[in-house]
Amino acid sequence: MKITFKSSLTILITIFSIFLVFLLNDEGEIPILFNLLTFAGIYGLAAIGLNVHFGLTGLLNFGHAAFMGLGAYVTVLLIPHAAGREGVVITTGLPFFLALLIGIISAALFGLLLGLPAIRLRGDYLAIVTIAAAEIFRLLVRDLESVTGGVYGIINFSNSLQQYRSGFIDNFASANDLNPSQIWIAFLSWTSIILVLLLLRRLTNSPWGRALRAVREDEDAVRALGKNAVWLKLQSFMLGAGIAGLSGVFLAFNYGTIQVSTFVPILTFYVWAIMILGGVGSLTGPIFGSIIFWVIISETNGIAQLIFENANGQQIAGVRFVLVGLLIMLLMIFRPSGLMGKKEELLLDVK
Amino acid sequence: MSNKYLKVTNLKKSFGGLKAVDVQSLNLNTNELTSIIGPNGAGKTTFFDLISGFQDSDEGKVYLNDKNITRSQPYSIARLGMIRTFQLTKVFDRMTVLENMMFSASTVNNDSFIRSLIRLPSQKTTEKNIKEKSFEIMKDLNIDHMANSYARELSGGQKKLLELGRSIINDPDILLLDEPLAGVNPKLAEEILQIILNLSEKGISILMVEHNIEAVMKISQRVIVLAEGMVIADDTPENVRSDEKVIEAYLGSENE
Amino acid sequence: MIEQLGNGLLLGIIISVASVALSLLYGVTRIVNFAHGEIIALGAIATLFLSSPVDSRVIFLDRFSPLGNNFYISVFISVILCGLFGGILEFFLFRPLRKAEVGNIAVLVVTIGLSLFLRHIYLLFNAKPQNFPLELQRRETYIFFDMTPRNFRVLILGIFVMVLIGLFLNYTRMGKAMRAVRDSNDLASVSGINSDNIILFTWISSSMLAGLAGVFQATINDVRYNMGFLILLLIFAGTVLGGIGTSFGAMVGGFIIGIVVNVSVGLPFMEGHTEAKNAVALAIMILILLFRPQGIFGEKERVS
Repeated sequence: MKITFKSSLTILITIFSIFLVFLLNDEGEIPILFNLLTFAGIYGLAAIGLNVHFGLTGLLNFGHAAFMGLGAYVTVLLIPHAAGREGVVITTGLPFFLALLIGIISAALFGLLLGLPAIRLRGDYLAIVTIAAAEIFRLLVRDLESVTGGVYGIINFSNSLQQYRSGFIDNFASANDLNPSQIWIAFLSWTSIILVLLLLRRLTNSPWGRALRAVREDEDAVRALGKNAVWLKLQSFMLGAGIAGLSGVFLAFNYGTIQVSTFVPILTFYVWAIMILGGVGSLTGPIFGSIIFWVIISETNGIAQLIFENANGQQIAGVRFVLVGLLIMLLMIFRPSGLMGKKEELLLDVK
Repeated sequence: MSNKYLKVTNLKKSFGGLKAVDVQSLNLNTNELTSIIGPNGAGKTTFFDLISGFQDSDEGKVYLNDKNITRSQPYSIARLGMIRTFQLTKVFDRMTVLENMMFSASTVNNDSFIRSLIRLPSQKTTEKNIKEKSFEIMKDLNIDHMANSYARELSGGQKKLLELGRSIINDPDILLLDEPLAGVNPKLAEEILQIILNLSEKGISILMVEHNIEAVMKISQRVIVLAEGMVIADDTPENVRSDEKVIEAYLGSENE
Repeated sequence: MIEQLGNGLLLGIIISVASVALSLLYGVTRIVNFAHGEIIALGAIATLFLSSPVDSRVIFLDRFSPLGNNFYISVFISVILCGLFGGILEFFLFRPLRKAEVGNIAVLVVTIGLSLFLRHIYLLFNAKPQNFPLELQRRETYIFFDMTPRNFRVLILGIFVMVLIGLFLNYTRMGKAMRAVRDSNDLASVSGINSDNIILFTWISSSMLAGLAGVFQATINDVRYNMGFLILLLIFAGTVLGGIGTSFGAMVGGFIIGIVVNVSVGLPFMEGHTEAKNAVALAIMILILLFRPQGIFGEKERVS
């Protein structure tokens, strides 16, 4: 990331928003901060995946939650777990990292499956199809109760990952009065972000990345020059889906349970908001967007209390979603390039 | 006779009852500079779309080098050596001129995901070669000074040159040019015309749709006239110019 | 099966009217309005608000008294209000965006944000599902179907409204102008049609229709903050199935989707999976987009 005015400003805003956490809370700031950073890491990773779809290739994917969910479910189902109220209890399974790999690949394959027919569709239709596909996914998962636990979800799987937790995480956590399991997830997701970004930086500045950007610009010209635009789009779709799958796994392990009600459109909208805020097409944008976004979200508690006396959970959530909706609207209208996006590279037209 | 030619038989395309293209037979020989002219709405661009795979014909066959490409995908046809440009210039706006060129020069293999991931030293060499080749062509076309500008900053004429440059960097056998002079100032039009002539002399077969009759008559060896989707003349420029049917077709459309 | 068919007709009329509204809007403005569901919900919520005391927990609205007690007047006013709302959206939001030449994708994302925003504003005002203040009725038999007299009247009214719309589009000047703008914006403006006014009119009428669909839905079911969002995908399915860009197609498509959703419960592979009944309709929509994107009645529009 180059040190430019834009990136400096973004970093400053991010630091300021973290500072806000301390400002707006009288106590328990450290746990709040780390909770926030954990979610920021998970959602940031998801947004990076979405950025591959939309920022790099111009694909309007509004079913991102399904990729996250698929990665999560496949991984969890392959390790020891207990499903739902009366579902199966599996006591043996694959080693975590193998299950994770399969989970990521499954998410990517789901991207291929969905993409094969859908990728040819024009922007707005692709949006509708991806939402519909995500909804079908959610309905199917919810219905396969014996396997997936249906609405009750799956539990008792965390240990497969937490057992690898290193000593220094435990030390750090206890020194700061934090939950070591969560810190481990935070550590892993942020490490993943760094690794994935390094990978993407290499890819975007490569002939492959160049080809994808050309597809984003003008598919017909790409075809007339002998390249298979559809296959290129599919590859990008698979890559973004795989990254989303990884983030979904972290999301599930952060909660310790996996429920189909997690992978709903709201989740997709959160990730979109983060991506737009961070800057469509910017590699590091999602990181900053995610941190700032989660500061906003975690402080909505306070805002909700201002509006409602004794705000209950539903009202807090309501205020939260109102703010997210407002954020998305205002960003797209006034600052579609977000924090780190390049104005010259805004893709806002259905071709 | 060498195999490098394009053969079209019985090509038909209608849109809801309206016949857009109805070409009984059309053969393109190697090394010919052929132009297609005709009044507006004669079906010229549709014809291009049909032979380059961008639209499906209702009936008929298209052969390139004896290979049946009637239902082939546009990218396959391009890989077989027939490259087309578009009426509305399609440059990659938010990429630099150099990137536009390098994209075209890069082969499908070079573009591959795995190769871009692993980055063997051989790819670095390939990229270097592609860059040099791109600069060569850009210099020939006089757009090398814009190499690092975004393509959308180019003037209309420069965009046409870029599109041309992209199309020729891989030494195509056949070039389909869709109105290469449209909206270009006269001086630049002269330059483009000369470039097209040079390409033809280098051995590339050229099929050009153009409205600029003067230019067409000047450089074409063969002129095909399309009216209402059908070929009404296919001859040397002089003969076509004095062909009664052609005059009628143009005069008729002028009166509308 | 007959019972499902009856339910299907009822769901069908809701989706039909909503689909026509969406289709009209899309046809003229080329905007896929993801906030469509929230305008539908607005119709129901406004009617509820106007016709009965609202149990609201928002502090400053705690003691608000209803404007009137007559249900049908409330319906009428709320439909007008929806139209007004649509007009405001167009005038203050979408028209400036259009003038600023903001691309379609950006507008689409704006509607998604708007949808999220509105839906949860409704949530904050009205958290629990509520019913219209109408007395409970018993089902009676109409031809083959059992439904309450009120629901039957909704069905008939809905069909009547759609016939009116069909006549309007085909035989009035404004209707023809709308179709002209839909078929070709450039041609229309050249022939002297002021597309800004047409677009405004379309937003208003589409929103009124959407509000009416909401009233129907609330009459047949209940009023929820997310009632529009719940059927939004089904509405897309109805529009796509019938044919994007044709109102008649939207009407027919909407009915088919409504029936499919309810009848699919009876299909063999759906046994024990009735919760997923929407999935069948959605799957149909995806298949249509892939294999016959113009739907049943539409003309081939560029979908890819």
